[in-house]
Amino acid sequence: MRNKLREPVAISGVGCSRFGDLLETPELKGKTIQELTADAVKEALDDAGLTGQDVDAVFAGNAMTHSSQLPGTYSQLSKWTGTQFKSGVHFEAQCSTTNVGAAMAAMAIAAGVYDTVLVYGLETTRTKVKGYSPYEREPISHQKTWLWTDMAVNQAYGVPQGYDIFSAYNGLVGLGYCRKYGISIEDFDRGMFEICRTRRQHGAMNPKANIQETLEDAAKRKGFDDVYAYWQSPESNPFVAWPSRLLSLVTTADGASAMVLTRADLAKSGKSQPVELKGFGISYSDLPWYGEDPTYWEFDKRAVDAAMGMAEISAKDIDYLHTHDCSHISGVCTAEMIGYLEPGTMLTAARDGRLRYDGDRPMSTHGGRHAFGHAWGASAGSDTYEAVLQMRGAAGARQIAKPPEISVIHTHGYAMIGTVIVLGGM
Amino acid sequence: MQATAEQPSMIRWYYEGLSAGVYRAIKCADCGKLTFPPTGCCEHCGSWNVEGVELSGEATLLFASHNITPACHPRFEKIAPYVYGHIQLKEGPIAQAIVRGVDPTPEDLQALFEKGPVPVQAATLQMDDLPVIVFDIKA
Repeated sequence: MRNKLREPVAISGVGCSRFGDLLETPELKGKTIQELTADAVKEALDDAGLTGQDVDAVFAGNAMTHSSQLPGTYSQLSKWTGTQFKSGVHFEAQCSTTNVGAAMAAMAIAAGVYDTVLVYGLETTRTKVKGYSPYEREPISHQKTWLWTDMAVNQAYGVPQGYDIFSAYNGLVGLGYCRKYGISIEDFDRGMFEICRTRRQHGAMNPKANIQETLEDAAKRKGFDDVYAYWQSPESNPFVAWPSRLLSLVTTADGASAMVLTRADLAKSGKSQPVELKGFGISYSDLPWYGEDPTYWEFDKRAVDAAMGMAEISAKDIDYLHTHDCSHISGVCTAEMIGYLEPGTMLTAARDGRLRYDGDRPMSTHGGRHAFGHAWGASAGSDTYEAVLQMRGAAGARQIAKPPEISVIHTHGYAMIGTVIVLGGM
Repeated sequence: MQATAEQPSMIRWYYEGLSAGVYRAIKCADCGKLTFPPTGCCEHCGSWNVEGVELSGEATLLFASHNITPACHPRFEKIAPYVYGHIQLKEGPIAQAIVRGVDPTPEDLQALFEKGPVPVQAATLQMDDLPVIVFDIKA
């Protein structure tokens, strides 16, 4: 495998909706999925200084068509995004969708087929079409969300025989981490609290986040003077897969994201500051995701090596990192495997505030899957959106003091598509 | 009218085995490794030159957590919460499955964690519509 792009490719525009609930969230309430998606696409095209007619192709991502009911997404949304008569495809890589789309676009551009590609992702994991209505929606039950989502997981043996995301992705990995590094369950719990507290702080600083309330404010609202007592409360934060608690997990969201990719030479004369897509890596696996050691995931290692090899960077070059944190402990293992932090040290780093936007190892400054929220096929694009804002120095209150030169974004497409992209300043 | 014969299916063969208390995998004739549960192709080297084999059901439970309630799949609503474990089979493959013999409470799971890996034995749990592999902690 040559693992090279034949010419440089840039992200010249990014867009992202508020993540939340189409039935409740102020900026989203009453919108249809078409309008939700158009918001993100318009922002990305405006950012690039283009219209939908200026792009050559559209890669439209949506994973859970049970709730969106929008197969043929590119054509159904063409008149909502101004992209009619363009080349297009509907694709999905589950929760890696939008960044796999970025990789597909980069390959198409570097191969000389297209100059400019629009990638977008949309997902509704909190609401679904109500009856046969073209505009009314209704909530999805917790069980239904996971039944549909788990259709991306081994349907021959895993799911039919009792597979449970919360233990496979959280509890068992947490236990493996504790045993490998000699960490007590009590210290693990405290470390998970610190990671959640950091992500919630970031979410509270992000007007597009699903949850914009700090953990401290949530504790006060629930009548707790001590935020750690709130964390340990079985009513507020039960174990969903011991030793992992509810607040160490993803929160579901409706949302959309978009990005414009183009030839680097064209991007330089664009409207907004572009960033280079310097590398990408994709590697997938079926269950079980790990061997004897639940902290080591081979497909992630392969995706990281491919992306960093293409970008010709090493771990010491990374200024900003997001690792997929549907499960906070899984995100910890990935960050340590990448080398952003020494193995076994990330819980301490969280306690010391090093992972915050103003720390020396900033991560997931949008709030991650827990605070920013998770709209499966749109989420990777929200991670890229945040990285581009940070690299432009445009992340507002949560801006990293020295805008990152190199950002690495890792996502897990369920289950599992390890996906890594490397962004660099131009 | 003559009935149409069913084509062979690894998935059906696996579950029919479970119903009879037999645990089935495939063994690669080229690299010698096992794929469990069985597919039509070696998961290690990609060879299609594979044959069905039976496993002992003996295994080691490496880690144990529990599922969420209500269960993600309606099939398991009536037994949730249940313990879900990370297991290494005696013949080598790693599996994850329902574990019996320990309660899904933080106290019991912590005691089990502190004990370290323990031997388990595969068994078949007959749900309403499907036999399911489970592992019982040995006394």
